[in-house]
Amino acid sequence: MLRFENVGMRYGAGPEVLRDVTFSLEGGSFTFLTGASGAGKTTLLRLMILANPPTRGLITLFGHDLATTTRSVFPSLRRRIGVVFQDFRLLDHLSAFDNVALPLRLAGRRPGDYTHDVEELLGWVGLGEKLNSRPPTLSGGEQQRVAIARAVVARPDLLVADEPTGNVDAEIGERLIRLFGELNRLGTTVLIATHDRSLIERGRAREMRLVDGRLVELRVPRS
Amino acid sequence: MMGSRPGRILPREAGAAPLEVVIAVMAFLAALALGASLVADRAAQGWRAGLSGRLTVQVLPPQHGAAEPSLTNETNAALSLLQKTSGVVEARALSQPEIEKLVEPWLGAGTVIGDLPLPRMIDVTLQPGAKIDLPALSQELIRAAPDSVLDDHSRWIVRLRTLADALVWCAYGILALIAIATASAVAFATRAGLEAHHDIVALLHQMGAHSGFIARAFEWHYLVSALAAGAVGGVCAMGLFMAAGGLEWAGIEPVPFLPPLGLHPSELAWLIAVPIGAGLIAWATARISVLAALRRIY
Repeated sequence: MLRFENVGMRYGAGPEVLRDVTFSLEGGSFTFLTGASGAGKTTLLRLMILANPPTRGLITLFGHDLATTTRSVFPSLRRRIGVVFQDFRLLDHLSAFDNVALPLRLAGRRPGDYTHDVEELLGWVGLGEKLNSRPPTLSGGEQQRVAIARAVVARPDLLVADEPTGNVDAEIGERLIRLFGELNRLGTTVLIATHDRSLIERGRAREMRLVDGRLVELRVPRS
Repeated sequence: MMGSRPGRILPREAGAAPLEVVIAVMAFLAALALGASLVADRAAQGWRAGLSGRLTVQVLPPQHGAAEPSLTNETNAALSLLQKTSGVVEARALSQPEIEKLVEPWLGAGTVIGDLPLPRMIDVTLQPGAKIDLPALSQELIRAAPDSVLDDHSRWIVRLRTLADALVWCAYGILALIAIATASAVAFATRAGLEAHHDIVALLHQMGAHSGFIARAFEWHYLVSALAAGAVGGVCAMGLFMAAGGLEWAGIEPVPFLPPLGLHPSELAWLIAVPIGAGLIAWATARISVLAALRRIY
């Protein structure tokens, strides 16, 4: 599914923010990525979602060596990844419905084909009454749920989420983790970057911890 | 239940008005240039049609002696010769009022013209395609009427053709400059739009949108804006040409010595090409600009 080999990353002429990172995610796995602020979590996520190329090392995604894969293939690889950004990145001029439907539009599906799926998913995350609301009129937690619904609506092969429960209450957080678990059970590989220890303990999933740009721990849960 | 029409990928831009004003002004100027080229072309054709297939014989007043008997005798002799010449359909001496009317724009109306020794004029109409040996005819005319001069208008036709061609090419040059200016303005606006919507473009790119999908959002936006603005400019120019035509219809000559500035309905239809051209330029420029910008993103 995803493999990093001795990956290093620096921005411009700055210091390396990731150093010799090596790991792999198996298809259908569920992993938490932890680390203090500035440890390199966001940079690692950006490499995984093809937002930046690594400075050195090899990344293999869905069987493609990214160093040798032609750029024209990247859009199709990106469409197989669902991303929950920490700052949500919703389009303010579109309704909650249109924001969630965006990945399906990009995949070429017609509005008539996905209306029911999008409405059902928004209902599942508790926003069934706010289909037509624009993001600026929603609370932080509601915006986060729209962002999560957008990330999972196309049933991605890989789901990457950066602090997905940071702005929601415990009950909604529990529902979202159940949603990720359900998606994982259906075959999606899930990676969640979080500071929430209770989430990690409850999740009984693999944990990768970053310290100063290095992957220092890979904890596999006891079955 | 949601409507089946998905929302626009790009928000409507409140800041797009200046670009639309620029395109409307460019379209207005382009329509004026196009209309001017059509007027010049029509005038040149009219002039050529009026002069070709015709000859003019001038019988000049003699340098010595009484003018009137000499002019009358030589004019009659020239008319007699011309009417017998093969290929001539008609040879007609212009009356004195007709001759005075011809020189009136330069000398003005009044009694002074009657006192001047004006030459006699013979208007000759030729058979279409008639091949006449003009140097030989000129020699024969001089023998019959020593003070006559034959003018086949070829000098004027060449000059008018050159003038009309120059006007038409000037108009094309102006059109090309306007097209370049419009393309530059749209390219600048597209780059500003990309900058303003960088977050949206980056998000769509991250979600796996093809460059063509993102470019389409921009090119449609600018195509519609340019079509609307171009239509406004084109309609304003059309109104101006129709007003000029209305003045001529009312018998008011807008500019003396210039050909009629009003456009015929078939010529007005050409002005529809202006907003279409503006739209195509905006569409192509936006597409090229967006694709070039997206190529620089990983």
